[in-house]
Amino acid sequence: MTAVIEVSDLTRTYGKVHALEAANFAIEEGTICGVLGRNGAGKSTLMRLMTGQDFPSDGAVRLWGENPLENAAILSRTCFVRESQVYPDGFRGKHVLRAAAHLFTGWDAAYAARLVEDFRVPLDRRVKKMSRGQRSALGVVIALASRAELTLLDEPYAGLDAVAREMFYDRLLADYSENPRTIVLSTHLIDEASRLLNQVVVIDAGAVIIDADADSLRGTAVSLVGRRADLDKFAAGRWVLATSSVGGLGSMTLEGLSDADKALAVELGLELAPVSLQELVVRRTNGSNASKEN
Amino acid sequence: MTAISAPAIPAPALAARIGTTIRIHLANPWSLVITPALITFGVFLLNFAIWHAVRIAAGDRPLDPNAFNYNGGVSWVLFFMTVVAVQSMNQTFSFTVGLGATRRDYFLGTTLLFAGLALGFGTWIALMAGIERATNGWGINGHFFAPGFLGSLPLWELAVVYSLAIALMLAIGSAAGAMFVRWAANGVIAFFAVLAVVVVGGVFAISATHSWEAVARFFSERDVIDIALLSIPITLASAGFAFIALRRATPKG
Repeated sequence: MTAVIEVSDLTRTYGKVHALEAANFAIEEGTICGVLGRNGAGKSTLMRLMTGQDFPSDGAVRLWGENPLENAAILSRTCFVRESQVYPDGFRGKHVLRAAAHLFTGWDAAYAARLVEDFRVPLDRRVKKMSRGQRSALGVVIALASRAELTLLDEPYAGLDAVAREMFYDRLLADYSENPRTIVLSTHLIDEASRLLNQVVVIDAGAVIIDADADSLRGTAVSLVGRRADLDKFAAGRWVLATSSVGGLGSMTLEGLSDADKALAVELGLELAPVSLQELVVRRTNGSNASKEN
Repeated sequence: MTAISAPAIPAPALAARIGTTIRIHLANPWSLVITPALITFGVFLLNFAIWHAVRIAAGDRPLDPNAFNYNGGVSWVLFFMTVVAVQSMNQTFSFTVGLGATRRDYFLGTTLLFAGLALGFGTWIALMAGIERATNGWGINGHFFAPGFLGSLPLWELAVVYSLAIALMLAIGSAAGAMFVRWAANGVIAFFAVLAVVVVGGVFAISATHSWEAVARFFSERDVIDIALLSIPITLASAGFAFIALRRATPKG
């Protein structure tokens, strides 16, 4: 197994603000990794550091074992598209694609043309005059058609409608299976994107709080529904992410249950339900609700 | 888990990467090439119209033969070049580096392109001056492209002088643009504050040491082209400064 990205003790401070604090994780070749977290959690900072666009305050990023900063060999195999990408004033869509064709060695012009049609990107329009969704679509076209071995997308579909987002997932998966590569994707739309992901990195307030295989992560948390008294009895000493109750009935989200624990819950007459990735991330990054019950 | 060793695929050659930056600058040629040329030509046409207006107003009265010899219109393109450099650096840096070019490749491409622009515009203005001379000042002894003391220079010297002057203005604009990219508005304010202090300080020093006469002698004793050559160290220093500022600049967004 080979790591394309290795992040070690990566820290970025802006004055007194700790945007990223001693982050550690690795992403293997061929992974689709989701970087999840709330606004301002440090997702964009992390991705900017991973592509050598920002400078670490401490720690290091390695892409294919090398520092990406000012490293043309590394950066030419990497494509980073972000929602807030700046485009020169006079640039129309077609100018952007022309520039991208020069920047990325693996650029597939025919594929780009198909995507432009699918996503209805108005190539003759000035980028400044495009809607947010159209700009995002342009970014998605660049990211997919770059065919870069490492493709990073920061909030790629802000403003895209549901149809375009569905199309993005489909195209991404189809292209990924034909041209396997490593993809890092930051997003708010966790449930939508979760079927794509095979690794999840969750950042909260600048710290990596989850770095896990997506499948195993889905199994870690369970939601239990039943009588309040039974729930409380079961929860004693376990890791409870959230609770809610109406009258004598309640529900609880717990993490770290073994199969034996689950069997016990069933014995107690509690109903088990899986917890979606989104719910799990919400519970885990919503600090005040998560506590160890006594 | 092991990191794979050095990448198997080499980066595109330096020349190709520099070419990419140049192509991005020129993907939309309006801001760098067409607009400055059109504006220079437009200012010329306006001057031409004014000359004719003056001639018509003068009627039968004879005009001073040097009436249309002193004209600062062409200096307009020089100052416009500073703006062009600031603007294009601000706009293309975040885009180009944001999409994965290195700062070094961006700087080298931009510098090479600006050198080419200086040479191109310098040569173009000298050629226009050639037409101006051949047509006896556009038929009315007007001097726009080679006014005043430039009137006596051979065309090749004129091309060199203009190219160096434009290169200087582009380099100063690059330095200011790099300051903006690195430190936003504060950077540009600091740049022009320092520039103003240097200029006023120089003026003050010359006055305090009663050296104005020596300064005047220094310039009057030398050929225009020699004075133009003196700009090269300033141009190179400005470009070097731009590079230092860009080294740790981060793309916006």
